[in-house]
Amino acid sequence: MLPLLVAGGVVTVILGFVLVVLLISWFSNPPFGLGNAPAQPVAFPHTVHVADNNIQCEFCHRNVTKGAASTVPAVEQCLFCHQEIDGVTVTAQTEIDKVRTAFETDQPINWERVHRLPDHVRFIHEAHIRYFTDDTIPVKFGINGEEITQTPDVAQTCIICHGDVANKTVVKPKTGQSLKMGTCLDCHRINDAPTDCTTCHQ
Amino acid sequence: MKLTRRNFLAWAGLGAVGAVACEGFGIRHGELNIQSPVRLPEDLVRGTDNWYASLCRTCPSCEGIVVRVMEGRAKKIQGNPFFPTNQGKTHARCEAGLQALYHPDRVPSPMRRSGPRGSGLFLPINWQPNGMDSLRSALQARGSSSVLITEPLRGHLGLLADRFASAIGGEHQGFETIDNNTFRAAVKNVFNQDSVPDFDLENSRFILSFGADFLSTWLSPTRFNRGYGEFRQGEGHDRGMLYQIDSRFSMTAANSDKWLPVRPGREGHLALSLAQVIVSENLQASGVDLDTLAGGDAGIQTLNAFRPEIVAPLAGLTPEMTGGDPVEFLKKLARDFANTRPSVAIGGGSAGAQSNGLFSLEAIYALNYLVGSVGAKGGVRFNPGSPWDGVPASSKVGSLEDWTRITDQIRSGRTTMLMLHGVDPVHGLPESLQLRDAIAQADDLFVVSFSAFLDDTSVMADLILPDRVYLEDWGDDISEPGPGYQSVGLQQPVVNPLPDLDPLSFPDVLLTMAEELGKESQLPWANFKSMLREGSDALYALDRGSIQAVSADEFWNNLLRRGGWWDESSMGPANVQAPNGLLRTIANKASDPEFAGIGMGSDSFYLVPFAHNTLLDGYNGHLPWLQSAPDPLSTVTWQTWVELNDTTADQLRLKEGDIVRIESSKDSIRAVVYTTPAAPPNIVGVPLGQGRRHGSDYATDRPGTESSNVMDILETTLVKDTGSLAWAGTRVRLSKTGDSVSISKLEGNARAVEIGITPAEEIIKTIKPENA
Repeated sequence: MLPLLVAGGVVTVILGFVLVVLLISWFSNPPFGLGNAPAQPVAFPHTVHVADNNIQCEFCHRNVTKGAASTVPAVEQCLFCHQEIDGVTVTAQTEIDKVRTAFETDQPINWERVHRLPDHVRFIHEAHIRYFTDDTIPVKFGINGEEITQTPDVAQTCIICHGDVANKTVVKPKTGQSLKMGTCLDCHRINDAPTDCTTCHQ
Repeated sequence: MKLTRRNFLAWAGLGAVGAVACEGFGIRHGELNIQSPVRLPEDLVRGTDNWYASLCRTCPSCEGIVVRVMEGRAKKIQGNPFFPTNQGKTHARCEAGLQALYHPDRVPSPMRRSGPRGSGLFLPINWQPNGMDSLRSALQARGSSSVLITEPLRGHLGLLADRFASAIGGEHQGFETIDNNTFRAAVKNVFNQDSVPDFDLENSRFILSFGADFLSTWLSPTRFNRGYGEFRQGEGHDRGMLYQIDSRFSMTAANSDKWLPVRPGREGHLALSLAQVIVSENLQASGVDLDTLAGGDAGIQTLNAFRPEIVAPLAGLTPEMTGGDPVEFLKKLARDFANTRPSVAIGGGSAGAQSNGLFSLEAIYALNYLVGSVGAKGGVRFNPGSPWDGVPASSKVGSLEDWTRITDQIRSGRTTMLMLHGVDPVHGLPESLQLRDAIAQADDLFVVSFSAFLDDTSVMADLILPDRVYLEDWGDDISEPGPGYQSVGLQQPVVNPLPDLDPLSFPDVLLTMAEELGKESQLPWANFKSMLREGSDALYALDRGSIQAVSADEFWNNLLRRGGWWDESSMGPANVQAPNGLLRTIANKASDPEFAGIGMGSDSFYLVPFAHNTLLDGYNGHLPWLQSAPDPLSTVTWQTWVELNDTTADQLRLKEGDIVRIESSKDSIRAVVYTTPAAPPNIVGVPLGQGRRHGSDYATDRPGTESSNVMDILETTLVKDTGSLAWAGTRVRLSKTGDSVSISKLEGNARAVEIGITPAEEIIKTIKPENA
């Protein structure tokens, strides 16, 4: 009897372990991160740049309205302003110094990706922004099915998928949003966008 | 569950497996990184490509290229469709230039020698202060006894190198393994021209080529290939005829209508024999003053010594080669050459690489006067000089006499400083000159290399100051041979060096040194770009040519966009008169070729080295794409082979893949046997380019093996009156080593057979038209 109990216990533990792994894999974004904000090499506050100083998203993410990837800015671009702007707090000064040092020593900055789609997905930022900012389409729907009757600008369009990044000190995925295939399909269906496999998968 | 020892171990094991699984299923560190590059290049903005015009520097000719650059990285090189020399075409060599840019064996930073000379032990140093200070100190102490050795230079870099050497009291020499000095001397003596002429193959109907492998490596093969295509298949005219008179079955020979495997060193005699037939049968072009050209009756009498009856046996022609009586063949060849206008005679390569090479080339080029092809359409076209005063349009290259003198100066301590850029003379000069030993044993010698890659010479340097590669640097060039009119190419940096590399532009280093040594009066430019910009402004002031602009700035921008400037109305001389009695002078100069070394015994062979189709003389040996590019004839890659007649190989009991030792009186090398029915029985052909001892792994022999560099066994016979190396004037013996390898080549082992009718053709034939 005892061996049976032991075997049953072992099987239960293994199955439980597998189940936990699958659940984490499915719901986390990025995997094993459970939607938390990953540690970044420079503590970049979107609040200061976007909310306080009103810098447009596409000023730094230069490709977002032009191509597939939104792209992160080159270090040189940070220095456009931070050659002169030192930061008010000690923390800010420390972080700005990191950027200046990277530029002076020719070292790129390796950010940790927060929003990630698998390699087999082709996502074009430009097409989505073009759709949502199109005045001729009176009603659109966001990824949670919310109705959008007033045509958003670029910054408001970013919020639809990324959440209110402008008011976040640390960037993390939108709460409750995993950016899985179901999310894409739901949004495409409700917006009458194509749902052929080849729309997103090449 | 009771916590027993057994359960504890089971849980611990399960936990460990789980931990490993979690880690294993996870994403590799860095996988989710997204990088902010340091710089913001303009082409990073949209992720689209940009094409920049520049110049190819993987061979001595000047070809225009356009480079595809994406996100700050060069991705592809293609021909510049506007550039007159190559008109959008490129050689495989050009495309491999990307590998020089991203090569793992680039010298990453300045280095100084830390072990015995030639040991290859170096320590990295900084440019400032160590690198530049060491160079300045050496120039101050030794500048007046220095020699600057560079690749053949034209344009502003040629001017800069000349002036720099002059300013410090030193000497500047250009280096080429196979120098064209004999060819240049022949052009000077026959046509009285200083620059290399162009050959209008496109409009020619009959090409008579002696030794010049112009479809593969000679002078400007991309340009000649384009002209050759028109010559064969152009619209509005019949297919042209090409005769190749060459001791080796080269790529040009393979494309010819008739290949005549003449005995080495008899090309000039054969050319004069054709001249004799043309003169005696009065076939010369109308308007040719035979009295002046031949030197009167006395000249014609002199030519009679070269009648086909005399020359045919001398040149080793047999009825098997000529498909009948060799004498009649030569006469018919002379008639066809004279009657099929326009026709052109070209000489170069091995035809000028015997002791009597100058005589041979002069005799060949003089044929053009007889058929009226000098300065004419479809013939020899001359190039004008440089559009800039004082900027050389022709490169100056040292002869073997110069290198012998410089080697002696190193030995005797009269030369105390060597500066090297883009050359490897230790690999490219005959071993018997002992330059390697001279450098190694000269205690007071200071060697500076500006090479971006280590090689047999730069490994002996005391100081290595790596240059940028050409896709990262400024430059210009004047096409040689040009297209018949003034043409200038501009080279611009299309990318920045990778972050882990720290090269500095060679011309900028020279200009910095000139300033620090107080030589600004001779070299007043702040940097090389400003020197080029001054050249651009001078072209703008000419107010002619391919670029129209309303300001000097606009002109400079257009110059960069177009990749160069040219003026089709500024042509070379059309009326070039032959020197009085030219044919008689040449005929009186005739002499037999001399073959030094092991004698003319029946067990020895004529050695005909040849430039490798992609590696050339070894200049591109470090580029793996070019190492793996199959030779067009043998398809052999990666190694030195010896072309041996298949019947001769059977007699010597050699088969393909056997490794033989090739011996001259100087030394021996190893090579893999490649048997072919197209090799003359008494000749062996061996490509240049392989066999470095130091440098990139792609270019070097395996440690401990015998050399495979054919230059190591060449006799130091000189071409009379030019002092150049008679590189095809060596006799060699072959002996077995007992080793054998499988040759890495594309060609199969099965002999070529006629395929016959294919199944598809059979079906087509059996379908009646009404059923089709």
